[in-house]
Amino acid sequence: MKEKDQYKDVLIIGAGIAGIEASLLLSKADRKVYLVEKTSYTGGTSIKFEEVFSNMECSTCMVAPRQQEVLQDKNINLLTLAEVEDVKGSFGKFTVKIRKKARYVDLQNCIGCNACFEPCPVSLKNEFEEGLSERKAIYVPCAGALPNVPMIDTEHCLRFKSKKDCKACQEACMFEAIDFKQKDEQLELKVGAIIAATGFKIFDPKQVPQYGYGKLDDVYTSFEFERLYASNGPTDGKLLLKNGKAPKSAAIIHCVGRDKKGYCSSVCCMYSLKFNHYLKSKIPDIKISEFYTDLCIPGKSHQKFYEKMKETKVDMIRASEIEVTKQERGIAVKYNNGNGKKDSRPVDMVILAPAIEPRDDASELAKILGISLDEYGFFQEEKPEVSSVITSKPGVFIAGCVQGAKNIQDSVSQASAAVGKILSSS
Amino acid sequence: MARKIGVYICECGPNIAEKVDIDKVIDAVSSLDGVAVAERYKLLCSEDGKKFLEEQIKKQGLTHLVVAACSPREHEKTFMEVCENAGINPYLFQLANIREQCAWITEDKDEATKKAIRLTKAAIRRVRYHASLEKKEIEGIPDVLVIGGGIAGIETSLQLASPDRTVYLVEKTSSLGGLITNFEKTFPSMEPGSNIIKQKIQDIEKNENIKVFTDSEVEEVIGFLGNFEVKVKKTTEENEVDEFNVGAVVLATGSTLFDPKKTPQYGYGKFDNILTALEFEKMNLSGEISLKNGNNPMSAAIIHCVGRNEKGYCSEVCCLYSLKFARYLMDKIPNVKVSNFYSDLCIPGKSHQKFYEQTKEKNVDFIRSTDVEVEKKGDNLNIKYKDENGKKNDLSVDMVILAPAIEPTPDASKLAEITSISQGDGGFFAEEHEKLGPVSTSTEGVYIAGCAQGPKDIPGTIIQAEAASGKILTSLIPGRKIEPEVKVSRISESLCIGCKTCLSVCSYGAITFDEAKKISIVNEVICRGCGNCVAACPSGAASIKHFAFDQLYQELTEAVQ
Repeated sequence: MKEKDQYKDVLIIGAGIAGIEASLLLSKADRKVYLVEKTSYTGGTSIKFEEVFSNMECSTCMVAPRQQEVLQDKNINLLTLAEVEDVKGSFGKFTVKIRKKARYVDLQNCIGCNACFEPCPVSLKNEFEEGLSERKAIYVPCAGALPNVPMIDTEHCLRFKSKKDCKACQEACMFEAIDFKQKDEQLELKVGAIIAATGFKIFDPKQVPQYGYGKLDDVYTSFEFERLYASNGPTDGKLLLKNGKAPKSAAIIHCVGRDKKGYCSSVCCMYSLKFNHYLKSKIPDIKISEFYTDLCIPGKSHQKFYEKMKETKVDMIRASEIEVTKQERGIAVKYNNGNGKKDSRPVDMVILAPAIEPRDDASELAKILGISLDEYGFFQEEKPEVSSVITSKPGVFIAGCVQGAKNIQDSVSQASAAVGKILSSS
Repeated sequence: MARKIGVYICECGPNIAEKVDIDKVIDAVSSLDGVAVAERYKLLCSEDGKKFLEEQIKKQGLTHLVVAACSPREHEKTFMEVCENAGINPYLFQLANIREQCAWITEDKDEATKKAIRLTKAAIRRVRYHASLEKKEIEGIPDVLVIGGGIAGIETSLQLASPDRTVYLVEKTSSLGGLITNFEKTFPSMEPGSNIIKQKIQDIEKNENIKVFTDSEVEEVIGFLGNFEVKVKKTTEENEVDEFNVGAVVLATGSTLFDPKKTPQYGYGKFDNILTALEFEKMNLSGEISLKNGNNPMSAAIIHCVGRNEKGYCSEVCCLYSLKFARYLMDKIPNVKVSNFYSDLCIPGKSHQKFYEQTKEKNVDFIRSTDVEVEKKGDNLNIKYKDENGKKNDLSVDMVILAPAIEPTPDASKLAEITSISQGDGGFFAEEHEKLGPVSTSTEGVYIAGCAQGPKDIPGTIIQAEAASGKILTSLIPGRKIEPEVKVSRISESLCIGCKTCLSVCSYGAITFDEAKKISIVNEVICRGCGNCVAACPSGAASIKHFAFDQLYQELTEAVQ
């Protein structure tokens, strides 16, 4: 693959931690990159976390400089609100069709002052905050989002949805940044290689009703809990129960959905231990019980982290047949302990650690890219013993959780591995 | 030439203008020493704004630029580019943050104005002491030294070697391949492991851009990204030393197993028929799994986590290869009974649970246990253990296989020293950043891959090899020059007292000691401007360009008045 007429530019799908890493590396090698992101912001899932294990570094502070770099890098063309619609051709010569939705806010003119939010008459649940807070029809998902430029949600904006002549946001904008006339665009890109780094979602605990999720107050998923703890989240980082009081006890339940999915999601034990730290740092005398089956903390630094967490006197309970039910005051976690005996523990708050699973649109994207899915719905690597970033289709590479559940370190490694594959072969 | 400082205050639409009385700021700074012009503008970061600034610099003949606007994170780069385009050195610029640090957080307009004045004055005082800094370029050698001829080193070499990039692959032993050559199969696919590696070794041998040194050790690596001088010594010959230069180094030296003799409760070395995982792999590869007396074992115990407590980490692969061992046994001895003694089953990853379930179906026992001990009982081995309920129990078996922890090779510390990198948790090579820099190290141009960085399986090792290659392919491009950091440290020859404090705090190995002059010297190509030496230097000899004492002092005196 050293032909002269092949395209040098690279398409990267997904601007999460893996897509960002790959983009910055390729740019360093003087390659032009099209970074296509479905949402209005970069950073992906990693910016939902306040801190990351095991050094408890502030995640936003860790990722923000890279997001900023992406915005300023002249070799990187970031296309937000954009999706890949069609891919034709072969390694070195792909033609890609992209559909880019209008943001209705000009990226150059907007300075991110947020003056347009206040006057917007529409209010609805903010998906980025797992529905724990409200947003307007013109919004950024959270404070500090990059690019720090809002978008208009046309499904809820009165102007677009109900054809009303509402200009509240436009009138509030001093920079003439709001442009109702923007149109969706179709782009055609010529690229030599593609990296799919579209990430993951978490298993919906409603599919395992025994955990009470969706039925009982104060039962949260890991993502919801991350946002509750986040200083830029819906409660400004205050950990409160639905009744407004601080929880005195909490249960963290591992492996939610593992049986259904048929695999261990690699990161839940570690982030559950991190949650223990989250809880203790805000409510020092809180009583925490972690319900788990097998502790999976591989890697040179993780047991040290576990031992440090244990010093906070968390109860590690090896349990099976866990059931979360309502009791007179608060919640009861019923379980079988290691000895096969039934037991129950009252708690104020329950945090579930659901399995990592492929995104809903994974199979559609796989079809467009011409690659296959594995039996779990993740993108299939050709052979892990050969390389876990190459697919059955030459020129299409994968990186991060789209290939399977993994932590940030391994996602970043895969991203630079995919870059290595591209640079050494084209 | 006299200083002509231009001061421009951004209204940022209403963001600054509504909170700060910009005219008062202009009044307060116009007459300051060196200020040639002070003006306001609606939005300096806009295309019009940038053009305005560029024209102002040229028209007014400005020598320095101060912009009072938003956070440097937002637009420092923007305005530095304006300076470059207008023909003044971009380091003769200072940005005062009067938005995030002032207008946005101060309620009272008078207070905000006062603070904006103070911040702008501080920037003006600082910029007077700025010096031009020039970008440097050095030649980079594209060639790469790979240390370790196992799967990680082989993979890295194959990926990097090309007609314009020679790879020097140095292997301590007499042949390439590493640990994997002992594996009949690899989990979870149960593909033949030794075959994969044989093909790759052939590829290496055929590749004329890879120079292989077997029976060789790296003696010296001196230099920086783009140019390391390397000495390689042949261990089998006396005085045979090869010398060459490379642009980058990859440490792929793999791992070794914890010595189970350090945990005598497992009886290793005392009783027959107790094997380490590697010994068992070798026995299996030879075709026959047998006891000392020549018979096939009819029962075997696999003991997980040997040495885990001593090492303080989980070695990631032992649960999975223990499952593979059960398969080996059952493939070769149809009625064999296999019992796994384990504490927690660690099988992360998408295809591993399935592998576990398929193995379990074949009648393999999993006994969650603690306090496992092995003793001799007649002709057999007896496993004593406490079960999940804390009850004492025992099991008699013919053979015991131990799954010892993975640990760094004995030469890890020597290699870390040679390449000026550090060893982190468990003695493995320390990565630059736990999350974002898994294959780079504190020495730019030195990378790590595979089990030398921490325990991992074959796919994980290959990913790191590919990742290290990716890093090198992006930073060492044949024919392209390397631009080192500009804001580096320097140590004043006349002030340095030769105490060597800076040497101990430099994470990058950028400082050397001149024994003749008895002073420390910074290698500007290696220094990354972290400032450790400046903070530690007791004589005030160390300083960083663009963050020099006088620059910070002037800025602070104004800011904290």
